Amino acid sequence: MNSLSNSTFIQQDCERSCTDVELLRPLSNKNILITGGTGFIGKWISEMIIYLNKQFGFNTKIYLLARDIETFKSEYPTISKNVNIFFIEQDVKYISELPSDINYVVNAACSPDSREHVSQPLKTIDTILKGTSAVLETSYRLPDLENILHVSSNYIYGNVTKLNQKNIFESDLGVMECNSIHSAYGEAKRMAETLCSIYRNQHRLPITIVRPFAFIGPYQKLDKPWAVNSFIREALIGGNIRILGNENNVRSYMYGSDMAYWMLRILSVEYTGEIYNVGSDEAISILELSKLITKLFNRNIEVTSRYTKDNHNKIHSLVPDISKAKSLDLTNTFSLNESLARTIKWNQLFNNVYS
Amino acid sequence: MIDILISDPTLRDGNHAVSHQLSAKQVAIYCEAANKAKVPIVEVGHGNGLGASSLQVGIALESDKVLLETARKNLSNSKLGIHVIPGFATIKRDLQLAIDIGVDVIRVASHCSEADITQRHISYAREKGKEVYGVLMMSHMVSATLLVEEAKKMELYGAEGIIIMDSAGAYLPNSVTEKISALTSSLNIPVGFHAHNNLGLAIANSITALEAGATILDGTARGFGAGAGNAQLEVLVAVLNKLGYNTNIDFYKILDASEIAELEIMQNIPVIKSESIVSGLAGVFSGFSKQVKRLAKEFNVDQRDIYFALGEKKVVAGQEDIIIEVVMEILKKDKHE
Repeated sequence: MNSLSNSTFIQQDCERSCTDVELLRPLSNKNILITGGTGFIGKWISEMIIYLNKQFGFNTKIYLLARDIETFKSEYPTISKNVNIFFIEQDVKYISELPSDINYVVNAACSPDSREHVSQPLKTIDTILKGTSAVLETSYRLPDLENILHVSSNYIYGNVTKLNQKNIFESDLGVMECNSIHSAYGEAKRMAETLCSIYRNQHRLPITIVRPFAFIGPYQKLDKPWAVNSFIREALIGGNIRILGNENNVRSYMYGSDMAYWMLRILSVEYTGEIYNVGSDEAISILELSKLITKLFNRNIEVTSRYTKDNHNKIHSLVPDISKAKSLDLTNTFSLNESLARTIKWNQLFNNVYS
Repeated sequence: MIDILISDPTLRDGNHAVSHQLSAKQVAIYCEAANKAKVPIVEVGHGNGLGASSLQVGIALESDKVLLETARKNLSNSKLGIHVIPGFATIKRDLQLAIDIGVDVIRVASHCSEADITQRHISYAREKGKEVYGVLMMSHMVSATLLVEEAKKMELYGAEGIIIMDSAGAYLPNSVTEKISALTSSLNIPVGFHAHNNLGLAIANSITALEAGATILDGTARGFGAGAGNAQLEVLVAVLNKLGYNTNIDFYKILDASEIAELEIMQNIPVIKSESIVSGLAGVFSGFSKQVKRLAKEFNVDQRDIYFALGEKKVVAGQEDIIIEVVMEILKKDKHE
């Protein structure tokens, strides 16, 4: 019988990731709006604030803005019933007025699901550009605004493989094939950063940009078609792991609670206008990742690879350089192995599909 | 030695050749024979795939449930595969049933320019842990560039390989090379080719596909399939053996299986009839042949004129109702002349 509740599990993670509470102190007694608030980032930031309010009396209020609040409320009662969490049910593209007591904005609207980007490219572009534009324009009228954290994407780096270096710096810019439906998300994210720079320059809005890489942890849906999600899902349902594409490609994964702490730390920095990579620099090949996951299960799991011969020699690496974030005293407190183990355990305990 | 994955749709594409009238008994007999030959994947179902039995494309003799349960009982070495076209097959009614019955391989297909419609089906099948492929039908109709864009969508949705179909038997070898090369250089997952024999090139095109980088091929016993039929499986295996590719198929036993198929499930062995040559030239889906033949006879119109008119309209599978429109247009034109 499992006596550990979801809430306790998550709060344990927040406690570990929150390495220096005082660095987040600027957020106490302040109010934060998160657009796309019911997604992975919104859930984890909410959980971190719940932890800070409960353990350290932060008295921070969160507004979660999203299109479908009711479904979220029924699926995540611990977040939705918290006294410091409030909801705004609206499409981010059409916001024109926000509660005037908002001090911080986290602009995280738009799903990172690459399936949606190619199936609905126009909607993707619309959400990113019109959404960001609406957020910036409306935030401009907030009397006590202190910072906007614009959540960009590692997609803006384009193809950086040609840069022939190990990890990706914030100053790197690879090529992106603009004449392709597959560039809809990346190009829109680039343009959204340009919008941010315009509002920063012309309206003197305080804006900081983060570029997230890959995350893993509780609240991440395992139906996403990304390698780590697929491997864990297949292992959880009793199947074998199938690697699709080049098994030598290199990735890294940041744990959810670490991500939340980083986001809040960067949101609260005194000097705005900077850009930070958010992710882990613990690099691993896809093949090694699959082996790491098999070791976390008490059964033999076969690993097979499927790839085209043409692309097998082209190794694609997507790992951030995080020295800039480290200058803010940020670290990844969860190793990759711990992140995977924790993700698997959470799904076994609290995800109805796999428990 | 390069491994080639062979998928055998004798009991699916072949169902087109008998107006979807394959019986459970016939399915059992061929599955047993293919299983003995260790054919990697045996595809079973209505010609247009799961959930397609209808007035529009033909009522099947047996339900999907009966066909799949029968096949499941008779396949142990071979994986049981299905062809799924979203629109015909729904997730709740059809795909869930097939998964419950125990299918191993799910090939989700769309017209070559409409990969978007496969997202939910591919995702669902992957979530259930199944082996999932994306299939782009009538692939001769679009450029290599567009084909790559659509294939990359399927890859993002979770497909473990992409098969392009020469549904009309319209490909010449140079086009096969162009399109397969474009796909293998752009995708990260394996690529396959499904041939039809309207222009007598099914085997040659299949080998050309391998030389361009494909590693998945479809073939059917005696070429049993829509129109002029598919690449003849036993011939394909023989040629692949001779070329030094590995299929893991027992050669003698696949020869036996094709004998059994000829005796037990075929009313006629596919040959390249005049109308098949014309449909291949016109680039019209081979599955239209029965209806074109029937309507040509009923209205006393030359089948060849119908095929060329359908080719000009760029009709695709599922647009069978346009055949009668074309017949009416030809009659009207003849009347004026």
